[in-house]
Amino acid sequence: MTVEFESYPEIKSYAESVAEPKWFTEMRIKALEAQPALELPNFEKIRYQRWPIQVKKALKKFSSDSDLLEELDIEEAKYLVVQLGQDTVREKGLTELEEQGVIICDWQTALEQHSDLVQKYFMQKAVKYDEDLLTAQHVANLTSGLFVYVPKNTVVKEPLTTYFVQDATTKADYVHHVIIVTEKNSEFSYLENLTTVGSEKTTANIIVEVIAGTDSHVKFASVDRLGTNTTTYLNRRGHLEDNAKIDWSMGMMNDGNIVGDFDSDLVGNGSHSEVKVVAISTGKQVQGIDTRVTNIGRHTIGHILQHGVILSRSTLTFNGIGHIIKGAKGSDAQQESRVLMLSTKAKGDANPILLIDDNDVTAGHAASVGRVNQEQLYYLMSRGLPKKVAERLVIRGFLGPVLAAIPSKKIEEQLKVTIERKLVDGQTDE
Amino acid sequence: MSTLEIKDLHVSIEGKNILKGVNLTMKTGEIHAIMGPNGTGKSTLSEAIMGHPAYKVTKGEVLLNGENILDLPVDERARAGLFLAMQYPAEIPGVTNAEFIRGAINARRPEDDAISIKNFLKQLDETMSVLDMTEEMADRYLNEGFSGGEKKRNEILQLMMIKPKFAILDEIDSGLDIDALKVVSRGVNKMRGPEFGSLIITHYQRLLNYIVPDVVHVMMGGRIVEQGGPELAKRLEDEGYAGIRDELGLDIKLVDEDA
Repeated sequence: MTVEFESYPEIKSYAESVAEPKWFTEMRIKALEAQPALELPNFEKIRYQRWPIQVKKALKKFSSDSDLLEELDIEEAKYLVVQLGQDTVREKGLTELEEQGVIICDWQTALEQHSDLVQKYFMQKAVKYDEDLLTAQHVANLTSGLFVYVPKNTVVKEPLTTYFVQDATTKADYVHHVIIVTEKNSEFSYLENLTTVGSEKTTANIIVEVIAGTDSHVKFASVDRLGTNTTTYLNRRGHLEDNAKIDWSMGMMNDGNIVGDFDSDLVGNGSHSEVKVVAISTGKQVQGIDTRVTNIGRHTIGHILQHGVILSRSTLTFNGIGHIIKGAKGSDAQQESRVLMLSTKAKGDANPILLIDDNDVTAGHAASVGRVNQEQLYYLMSRGLPKKVAERLVIRGFLGPVLAAIPSKKIEEQLKVTIERKLVDGQTDE
Repeated sequence: MSTLEIKDLHVSIEGKNILKGVNLTMKTGEIHAIMGPNGTGKSTLSEAIMGHPAYKVTKGEVLLNGENILDLPVDERARAGLFLAMQYPAEIPGVTNAEFIRGAINARRPEDDAISIKNFLKQLDETMSVLDMTEEMADRYLNEGFSGGEKKRNEILQLMMIKPKFAILDEIDSGLDIDALKVVSRGVNKMRGPEFGSLIITHYQRLLNYIVPDVVHVMMGGRIVEQGGPELAKRLEDEGYAGIRDELGLDIKLVDEDA
């Protein structure tokens, strides 16, 4: 197929301004041309279709005012990448990793220096560009991101900490892509912080692809704190080869509306995904979280644990999808989704969905939407703690399984502070 | 000196009347014991005083220093000076024991005068050593995975750290072996003094060998039917509850009595 660059002056001028490789620009155009035939993805019980979730702003390169970073609390880490809007503003410790053959670079650098590697993995194994309208819009409008490549037999023990700061001081959409590739027998730990500066009404379309090669192990943790006026599509997907393992721990602490689409494809035999999600919804926000694990290979293990709290007039929906494909013999799909309601005006939903196409498997689910345990509250209050403080303590325990999996004490503390803030805000609004 | 007065207290749970007019007055500096057979309302009395939402007071008053506390929420009763060592303490994952106890102490202090961490840890260490508790118990999640004995010790640890005016100990001896019983008693005895009063609920006289009460009350059928000194507990041990009942001519069926 020949692609007519000239027909797309906006893409052409952007591509020239960043000097991206031709294949990538061609892919943008293919994605753009595919859009009329594509629809928005459908997630059970999550009605987001009328939100301003579609990327509409022109593809444009812009720089952010680095003073904006001063508003943020950035924790020091051994390996650190900080991006503000489309700019990389700090990198630390990466040279040391480079000596081990580990590639960590921002999107422009990746396209410039590792074009072949990026082409091999970008929207090829985990997510496809023409899967739906949102993935197609993503490819057509992508302007920032991170590329991580861990060669075989390489172990990176200390986590790479990233801060991706969406700049909402101007009305620019945020389209961001992360690829993490771990080759055979490697180990990698990653801690992502998504956050917003500014309060313009904006759209974020973020895709993270983790391609875990044979016998590799990825620990993926994230703390997502996107702003009140940011409407987000956040897709994180793992592609796991033989005996690969991904541990996902995600803290959804956003203040705006968001659809989280968290998937693991257990393609290789013996591959294993543990997905832990905590979420707090406050104000009038809606958070819809659709977590799927698909067992394709034999003896694969997919576990989902989702705990969430809803306050004020907010909504939180957890879908847990365990799909065992025919032939995935000896596989295991388990899930637990629980929502605690602190307000009578809040809406919560926990939907277990098990799709089982093979007999020789084990599967189970638990789901509940309920109130704070009265015996626990009574106990704490009987020691003199006011009801709201007691509630927050019970909730912290309820969210504990994910907190404990955060690979940095400092970030865990930060997350506790964020949880406390969200809960206090939500409680005053009851 | 503080006083705790229970006046004509009637309490029901799920529509069933359990307490049928309990009267009891105690002062700080005193240890009272309530003894009685199973199913007689001893735990109901303690939960009603503390304010468990499932227990409904249908009549009567509980006065702390002359003020009725029954309209206060649980946490305010606690801050006013009441403490209940529970028979089945709740488990709270994610919140460490130390953090919780510090929070409970600070809930009683002005916001700008929180206890210093150093001071707190010193007190905590000392108190835990009185109770033969290992240091790691401070960092474990509140009661989570604790054995029965560990939970009881932890209740006494909280009691000693919080220093209430009045502590109700609801069957603190149940499920304890003799060594643990001695340890727990040591903790309670250390609290004895003019500013502390305790109401000890138990079936057995054994605990009262270690914590010698000033007053013993016998409860049956939702009322206090007899009062006396420590010798009353010994008499109960010898004669059983049926003996007292028959002597008083009460028409009460004991739950564990054969038909």
